[in-house]
Amino acid sequence: MIHSWRNGDFWSGLALAALGTYIVTAARRWTYMGEDGPGAGFFPLWYGGAMVVLSLLLVAGAVLKRRASVAPAVRWGDLGRALACWAAFVACIALMRVVGFAIAFALLAWFIVAVMARRPQRVALPIAIGGAVAFYALFELALDVALPRGMFF
Amino acid sequence: MDILSGLLQGFQVALTPANLVMCVLGVVLGTVIGVLPGLGPSATIAMLLPLTFRLEPTGAMIMLAGIYYGAKYGGSTTSILLNVPGESSSVVTCIDGYQMARKGRAGAALGMAAIASFIAGTFGVLMLMLVAPPLAELSLAFSSPEYFALMVLGLALVVLLAGASLTKALLSMLVGLWIASMGTDLFTATSRFTFGRVELIGGIEFIIVAIGVFAVGEVLGNIEPKKPADVLPVPKGLRNLLPTRDDMKRCRFAFLNGSLIGFLIGILPGAGSTIASFMSYGIEKGLSRHPEEFGHGAIEGVAAPEGANNAETGGALVPLLTLGIPGSGTTAILLAALVLWGFKPGPLFIHDSPAMFWGLVASMYIGNVLLLVLNLPLVAVFAQLLKVPGYAMYPLILGVSLVGVYAVGSSLFHLGLLALFGLLGYAMRKLDYPAAPLVLGLVLGDPMEKALRQSLMMSQGDLAILFRPIPSVLLALAALLLLIPLFKKLNAVRVQMVDKEA
Amino acid sequence: MHCARRIGTAAVAAFALGFTGLALAQWTPTKPVEFIVHTGPGGGSDLLARAVANMMEKEKLVPVRMQVMNKPGGNSAAAAAALAEKKDDPYTIGFITSVWIAGPLTSSEATITVHDLRPIAQLLLEPAVFAVRADSPYKTLKDFIEAAKARPGQLKQSGGSVTSRDNIIRQTLQHATGAKWAFVSFQGGGERLAALLGGHVDIMVIEPQEAGEQVRAGKLRVLAQLAERRLPGYPDAPTLKEAGFDVTPTPQIRAVVAPPAMPADAAAYWEERFAKLRETPSWKKYVQDNQFEDAFLPAAELKKSIAEIEKQLREQFVQAGVKVVR
Repeated sequence: MIHSWRNGDFWSGLALAALGTYIVTAARRWTYMGEDGPGAGFFPLWYGGAMVVLSLLLVAGAVLKRRASVAPAVRWGDLGRALACWAAFVACIALMRVVGFAIAFALLAWFIVAVMARRPQRVALPIAIGGAVAFYALFELALDVALPRGMFF
Repeated sequence: MDILSGLLQGFQVALTPANLVMCVLGVVLGTVIGVLPGLGPSATIAMLLPLTFRLEPTGAMIMLAGIYYGAKYGGSTTSILLNVPGESSSVVTCIDGYQMARKGRAGAALGMAAIASFIAGTFGVLMLMLVAPPLAELSLAFSSPEYFALMVLGLALVVLLAGASLTKALLSMLVGLWIASMGTDLFTATSRFTFGRVELIGGIEFIIVAIGVFAVGEVLGNIEPKKPADVLPVPKGLRNLLPTRDDMKRCRFAFLNGSLIGFLIGILPGAGSTIASFMSYGIEKGLSRHPEEFGHGAIEGVAAPEGANNAETGGALVPLLTLGIPGSGTTAILLAALVLWGFKPGPLFIHDSPAMFWGLVASMYIGNVLLLVLNLPLVAVFAQLLKVPGYAMYPLILGVSLVGVYAVGSSLFHLGLLALFGLLGYAMRKLDYPAAPLVLGLVLGDPMEKALRQSLMMSQGDLAILFRPIPSVLLALAALLLLIPLFKKLNAVRVQMVDKEA
Repeated sequence: MHCARRIGTAAVAAFALGFTGLALAQWTPTKPVEFIVHTGPGGGSDLLARAVANMMEKEKLVPVRMQVMNKPGGNSAAAAAALAEKKDDPYTIGFITSVWIAGPLTSSEATITVHDLRPIAQLLLEPAVFAVRADSPYKTLKDFIEAAKARPGQLKQSGGSVTSRDNIIRQTLQHATGAKWAFVSFQGGGERLAALLGGHVDIMVIEPQEAGEQVRAGKLRVLAQLAERRLPGYPDAPTLKEAGFDVTPTPQIRAVVAPPAMPADAAAYWEERFAKLRETPSWKKYVQDNQFEDAFLPAAELKKSIAEIEKQLREQFVQAGVKVVR
């Protein structure tokens, strides 16, 4: 049983079971069967229900596996890197409102090259700045495709 | 007017210098648009409409059509190289195309995409020319019960797309169904799963989920190892840049499959090229002798969907030009363009305006050839992109994703959604949930639900309507598909028992 | 004494100049203008906005570039929000349809409604017709209604969303005549037409533009038209009133609005420009080609009209059993 704590299936199964339950509760607020045919609640009830059943099956499978966790141990370091990158991505998007696409993207690119990949500044800076300029020039200037605007551009 | 003389007249029209120039312009523009996420054929065609007033209508239509099917050729480029779907219909190409790129076969993938697109695209035009009017009438017999059964069949394909765990694939698909149902319900105007956000009233755009889960999720997954997984191997030498003879042989069925499925689904108004590419991929995998290769770089997994989404353009033009019914957003704009120029698309269109119809058909043959000639050398150019080291690739992919999604509705909220789905994509990779079923559920969920409710409205709640001839066949096929895992399990048990006895 | 007189004259002169200056100071745009629409490229509003931009340029009514900005999403919520964000920008206007009025009635999420925006002018009304297959037994709308009375719920109409004009007119007619027939919603116009042509439904409400070719090819028959006067394209089809049904269909308007705080002179400029546009030959041709009803209303009237339409829609939604949230 203890092994299931480390098992991804266990936790994702629980999360999906929770989602399924939420879907079913929401669906019950809507009409299941109207006078003209199935209502808004019909489909969600069914796929939500299926989600609950299947996810519990998954959880059960994870719990009942006697062997030590089938999946290799979680490499927290790697996970951390990925999440850091994701956080940078989110920050980039949040910043766009203030500084616009070009600067936000340059920062993101710099972060990935210099911090995550540990490349020297002489590689990181050109990539970041060059990339931002290229995107801006190609999309905003040449193709007239709108990019997020900050306070200045 | 009989077909041969019509075609002859068409070529006379299409081969005039002015119209040839229009054709070239159209297909080149289309390819560029297809390659660049953030630009779609419908937006471009709409923007160019005012300019076309100064041009001669046949030439203008040739150009616009060139943009339409040209974009399908280019859409596979970013799918294969960056795992970013260039068009919604190129999502399926990401699955095997990107894996091929990771194995050093990007050139073959790109080349095969072009070749399959050519074969299927030409097939589509051929069919348009030969059987358009009768087929159009036949397509009218296809209504909601038939659509429903078709969608169910499509969803049953998830069984074939499942990797090791069918449960996880099904769960993935169910999440896709959930995302698909977000928004305002068409039939009752109820808001479902909008979490009170005004931006979710219309649901979540497919491309946002696709780019998030595929592209962003992939970047997050790859950035993990401390030693960045470098460069994707660059194919060396011309031989490696294009599909080999062996590849071509393997894809014989895929060409047929893509062409037929794409065209047939194209004829149905409302069923789009994304559905066509999924179906054709699923059928290819299901009937393949080595299905386990799919998802890991099987070249047929590129040929079939790419063919399907090109044949679909030919199919979509059938209801447009023979009945005046637009089947999709882009064909709706083409319809508007025709009306603007004073044409009358409808059942009498071919009869009234043979020069336009046949000129268009002839130009599509020419266009497909031009696109093949244009795209094959481009393979070498694009393959150079792979020389870019990993750490520079990731910002590139993320940047392209951001632009592509922002172009959907110029909304930072969409970018936020992109980030969310990127995280979801990453989580799914870590936890071994296949992404394809999610996308499948997302694409098919809404049309399937609508088709079911429409059917029951038509029959006043009587389920028997779903068992008309065509739906019955399709539903039976779906049931068979769903039983495959059961057979496999039974077979495995049987083998075990036989082993025990031996 | 001289000084005072000189100063006096100067003062009067300055005053006079000032007044004339005021009278001449009319706002004109000096930067590109944006037209916001709630559909994607190729949608109804998008095409109208592009056509208007084209016509204004051709007739030299507006000295700057006009470009269309697509803000699809949430029916009209995204576009309305985008317009509201522009606050007092005189260089942005929006093209609305009745969807902008109907949408917020059923979506509690919409934060900005058409009432928050400044009306400029109404341009057009979109008529529609009732159509059946050419081989259907119903020769007049009355035939259909009678048949529907005889077999309640058996006959089917294809149409758009439950809040669309197609359904609303059905509700109104059902209410007025006591007949009952089913409504099947389809997402796209092409699908609705295909359903009718394929014999899966019995009747539909369709734009005269779309129906034109099918009628000419002998596939569809028009039973009646939803318009005040007979459209030039359909001289033989009676209007609802002429056909004996005393119902007024809720108008499908196409109008122009501006951000909430657009300055008065800019708003007046736009209103006047659209009034001028209406007199041009390109506009007249456009209206005729697309079979719209030319129905201009200045800003004040438009505001009243919107309020009326909303009231009507609210009643009809309640009647149709649709949940109304505001």
